[in-house]
Amino acid sequence: MLKLPKGSAFLKPVQATAFLFAAWELLSWAIVPDWPSAIEVGRILWRDVREPSFQAALGGSLSRMLAGYLLVMVIGISGGILLGRFPLVDQLMGSLAVAVHAIPGAAWVPLSIIWFGMTEQAVIFTIVLGAAGIVIVNTDTGIREVPPFIARAARTMGARGVKYFWFVVVPAAIPKIVDGLRLAWAFGWRALMAGELLTSVNGLGQRLSQVAKVGELDHLLAIMLLIAAIGIAVDGLIFKRPSSAGSIR
Amino acid sequence: MRVELRHVSKSFSHNGHALEVLQDINLVVEEGEFVCLLGPSGCGKSTIVNLVAGLERPTSGDVLVGGKPVTGPDASRTVVFQDAALFPWLSVLGNVEFGLRMAGLEPRKRRERALEYIRLVHLSKFIQAYPHQLSGGMKQRVAIARALALQPEILLLDEPFASLDAQTRSVLQNELLEIWELARPTILFVTHNVREATGLADRVYVISSRPGRIRDVQPVTVPRPRHAEDPALLSHQHKILGLLGEEVEKVLREELGETVHFPEAQHPAAPERSLGMHI
Ligand SMILES: Nc1ncnc2c1ncn2[C@@H]1O[C@H](COP(=O)(O)OP(=O)(O)OP(=O)(O)O)[C@@H](O)[C@H]1O
Ligand SMILES: [Mg+2]
Repeated sequence: MLKLPKGSAFLKPVQATAFLFAAWELLSWAIVPDWPSAIEVGRILWRDVREPSFQAALGGSLSRMLAGYLLVMVIGISGGILLGRFPLVDQLMGSLAVAVHAIPGAAWVPLSIIWFGMTEQAVIFTIVLGAAGIVIVNTDTGIREVPPFIARAARTMGARGVKYFWFVVVPAAIPKIVDGLRLAWAFGWRALMAGELLTSVNGLGQRLSQVAKVGELDHLLAIMLLIAAIGIAVDGLIFKRPSSAGSIR
Repeated sequence: MRVELRHVSKSFSHNGHALEVLQDINLVVEEGEFVCLLGPSGCGKSTIVNLVAGLERPTSGDVLVGGKPVTGPDASRTVVFQDAALFPWLSVLGNVEFGLRMAGLEPRKRRERALEYIRLVHLSKFIQAYPHQLSGGMKQRVAIARALALQPEILLLDEPFASLDAQTRSVLQNELLEIWELARPTILFVTHNVREATGLADRVYVISSRPGRIRDVQPVTVPRPRHAEDPALLSHQHKILGLLGEEVEKVLREELGETVHFPEAQHPAAPERSLGMHI
């Protein structure tokens, strides 16, 4: 995990990454001559990120991810609250949410293309369906499983009805909701790549399929490296930091 | 307000069959009185607290507060739970303000009142701290401030100091007594510590176990402030320990089998021991 520079905690991932690249370089140089050299891949990546058309693709991917993720947050949290709060909604929609959650993001791509064509919307739709399920399910569980000691204490202090829900149930569920959002980021990122690979909208996924078609292995690895780095960086920067303060159990 | 339990019994279903936890409990706490419930572990003390708090219903009999049957929890009857039960997502201030917010008090008054009670338990320096940053004793003080801030007519305390060291406990006991003398809420205080019970209470109910029944009521007439070595207190303690000794032996026999014997010298209810701690 990527962490903020904080004493030795920062050194470990840096050292580990350096070690990995050294091993890669050695491998390509001494053992498997066809394998692209790490230095060469790094050079290609550096060239790519300075090139305007590549930047457009990167920007396209990130903005799609942002749009999709915002929708996931809104749909996931409000959907989870509805399911957790109203038994009738849960009876009608609960199994649907679980079913959606069980389908991997990539499997939504064909349906997305039928509905939206080879468009931006199709990709965003894929992200939403690939990632909203986990947020719905986690929000729902968090809301149902308020620790009994919290529920009892709140009730003895006069908490009931809507106030009980907003001031006790929802905050008690937040650690669980954050867990869901974190997983949703990973699921969404995967779904984005699947969507872009198959729809040929301008993005990193499309770049992957282009360089693969012409057999540029080193270029392919460079883009994959970037995809991994973004996935890890967002997870580390957004979700790693605040976890200790709000935990309940 | 006066609390009264009339012929109260309580059973829980346990693997399909009913387990009688409380049997024919008759108990009164007069308005403004400080009453302790004392008994071995598992005798149903917390169940009595929950009944009065409205978190549980009796299987039979009546739980009356101010002459009226209890139908559910109410902010006029607050509880200090054994494990503090603070809300982890709220600061000390947020926790103490919680009940006032539920009561719909306006923000400025809410803040003022919360700060007043936080001051009363000497935590003014920690208003912004979160529960996970506090020691056990500090958490209990927050729980007490939180329960008092609602200015309840009845304060229920379920072994509030059981997990604390002797010194912290005695500091908090004195703070509680001071607060009680100021506002005079009706107090029902659960403990399994004989010294604590006789040091604090106007009357001590001794509860026997399996099923829980009122074994005896001991009025403690020693005037406050009380001193631990006061012979009158010690004689109360001895009387109660005599009753409890049989109870503790009974519990241990049931739990450990018939093979245990207690030589006089290592009686399980030696005065400096807390009952049940070793069970
Ligand atoms: N919700 C419940 N369901 C089933 N059994 C219960 C329930 N609550 C309490 N009991 C049982 O009732 C008995 C009394 O429990 P209670 O918590 O009132 O004891 P206690 O006197 O407070 O004990 P301690 O001093 O250890 O806190 C125990 O045997 C317990 O197993
Ligand atoms: Mg108890």
